[in-house]
Amino acid sequence: MTAETTDVAEVGANTRKAGQYVYIAAVVLLCAWVIVPLYFLLINTLSSPEAVNSYPKPFIPEFDLGSLTFFANFAGILTALKNSILVAALTMVMSIAIGAPAGYALSRFEFRGKELFRLLILLTRAFPLPLLALPLAVMFIRVGIDDTIFGLALVHTTLAIPFAVLITFSLFSGIPIELEEAAWTLGCNRLTAFQKVILPLVLPGITASAIFAFVISWNEVFAAAVLTIENRTLTAFLLQNLDTSPLHLKFAGGFILVVPALIFIFAVRKYLFAMWGIANR
Amino acid sequence: MTIKSTLTGAAIAAALLSTSAAAEVLFWSTQAKPVEEAQAMREQVLSGFAGEVDYQPNDGGPWITRLNAELEAGSGSIGVLGALHGDFSAMDPENLVDLDDLGVSAASDTFNSLAMLGTDNMQYIPWMQASYIMAANREALPYLPDGADINALTYDQLIAWAANVHEATGEPRFGFPAGPNGLKHRFFQGYLYPSYTDGVVRTFASEAAVGAWEAFRELWAHTNPGSTNFSFMQEQLLNGDAWIVFDHTSRLAQAFNDRPDDFVAFPAPAGPTGRGFMPVIAGVAIPATAPDMDEARALVEHMLLPETQIATLRATNFFPVVDVELPDDLPPSVQAAGAAVATMSASPDANPGLLPAGLGDKGGEFNRVFVDTFERIILAGQPIEAVLEDQKETLMRIMEETGAPCWAPDAPSEGACPVE
Repeated sequence: MTAETTDVAEVGANTRKAGQYVYIAAVVLLCAWVIVPLYFLLINTLSSPEAVNSYPKPFIPEFDLGSLTFFANFAGILTALKNSILVAALTMVMSIAIGAPAGYALSRFEFRGKELFRLLILLTRAFPLPLLALPLAVMFIRVGIDDTIFGLALVHTTLAIPFAVLITFSLFSGIPIELEEAAWTLGCNRLTAFQKVILPLVLPGITASAIFAFVISWNEVFAAAVLTIENRTLTAFLLQNLDTSPLHLKFAGGFILVVPALIFIFAVRKYLFAMWGIANR
Repeated sequence: MTIKSTLTGAAIAAALLSTSAAAEVLFWSTQAKPVEEAQAMREQVLSGFAGEVDYQPNDGGPWITRLNAELEAGSGSIGVLGALHGDFSAMDPENLVDLDDLGVSAASDTFNSLAMLGTDNMQYIPWMQASYIMAANREALPYLPDGADINALTYDQLIAWAANVHEATGEPRFGFPAGPNGLKHRFFQGYLYPSYTDGVVRTFASEAAVGAWEAFRELWAHTNPGSTNFSFMQEQLLNGDAWIVFDHTSRLAQAFNDRPDDFVAFPAPAGPTGRGFMPVIAGVAIPATAPDMDEARALVEHMLLPETQIATLRATNFFPVVDVELPDDLPPSVQAAGAAVATMSASPDANPGLLPAGLGDKGGEFNRVFVDTFERIILAGQPIEAVLEDQKETLMRIMEETGAPCWAPDAPSEGACPVE
């Protein structure tokens, strides 16, 4: 009897151990999936052109700053970086300002054409930008918002809104209306109830959709290349020129494009994790 | 929102909306796109211009979209266009300013007549030229077949050479730019077809063309199978994936500049009907919507000055189109490529072809015919005759729709160039 229980306990412990190994292996694999390419990008960025073209690749960077120095001296790169950040920030603000109320309305109110509205929102992503860019550019030139940060942010907002609406829609739907009703009975009106009860609960989710908006704007090339000239974004400024550049500059350029986005996501990671329920760890 | 924050918002919005008043000429180009070349264009070529220039190289898509948008809106910011002959020939000549009265042109009459785009006036001014050549790692030289002169190779010798290297090293080391951005179609249009069939369109499905594809299939057996991912052969030369390669001069430049002693450049091989080769020609033009016509004209003139042409050569590895005395201290890539191109065009069996002309916006479809033929015959292993008969229909349709007359080395035609 006693022997049997120990056996069972041992089997149980073994299974748990095996499970743990699988768990750790999965975590390592997932991390490697993300980190290894970034690490290679870093190594190759910090390598001399000869090392980049050689094989096998070294695992430790040699800290050759040649490729990065080239970009540091590349005319207009800082302005482009500034423009990219401005456009992405503006896109973030506008897509949340427009998307979050729409998401709230979709989750709280019944109105005619609601389903159609949801479909239409998704449709803004159905047309490829190269198709839209020509009429857009013509209109922008005529209206006078061609080659402005605001104009480009408008386009990027359009691209980001479906995500903002759908993410906030599911966020608001996840919060019971009873909470709001309770607030109303305790002296809040619709606005203050939203402000005091709902907003703190959905803030992390809103941050997440803001990050989506940021990344969408940061990565967009075609509209940026057509709609801006003096005020180019970093992606429009660099990305089109990188595919035909030598390998070591491709790596360095890629690095420069990736790092600001990484820094941004790192800075707001707290809010993202908060959405997944492991706040502030 | 408080009044104060509203005001700040408005101020920011105003700042974001304001465009800086630009006195610069916007040079909107599809050429010199790689970051190093763009940098050299700005610092060395355009710094000599009296006015201010904003040099912006672009992908083909944004380039033409922006241009069309400005033309449609009737006002624009682009001052000068820089692009390949093929980009200009896809445009409506009405949208380009006639440039005859500038009094500058290329030394070659062929180039100048190409630049008229089928009208009676210069629609663009030839700006620079290049070509496609062969290059090899010096390690491959000992495997040259007996009696072969590297400056006068034939396709058979090239195949034997690639086979020798393959046998000796155990790896196929011929490299061909068959990647998504590779310029493989130009090899078929300007090199393989003229060398084997003395034509491109007329002889597309001829018996000689079958021979050409058979030869290329033999060569492919000794080609690095990774070639379907190669677009810039300088990379494979440098990392050793390929020892013998074919590509555009400017796409080989980095190999010669990085390790000048390790590589040799040499002319393209010859086939039964001579040594086919093709020039690449880029031009500068002014769109009808250019904001400052005088500055734009001045910039076009500046691009054709001998000093600018030499600076452009250093920056982009594209050769001058006007008569200039080349200095001795040019980069290794320029010296190597220049010598190979000169040997190629001066060889007794030279059979120069021209860029496809008169196809308008069907140029892409025309290239597609050759790429599809390559993919079906070489990659999919389909029977040559059947594929050629099949693709011939598409080619015929393109020629009839555009009515493009034959260009060299095809014999001249009345009306659309026939596929025989």
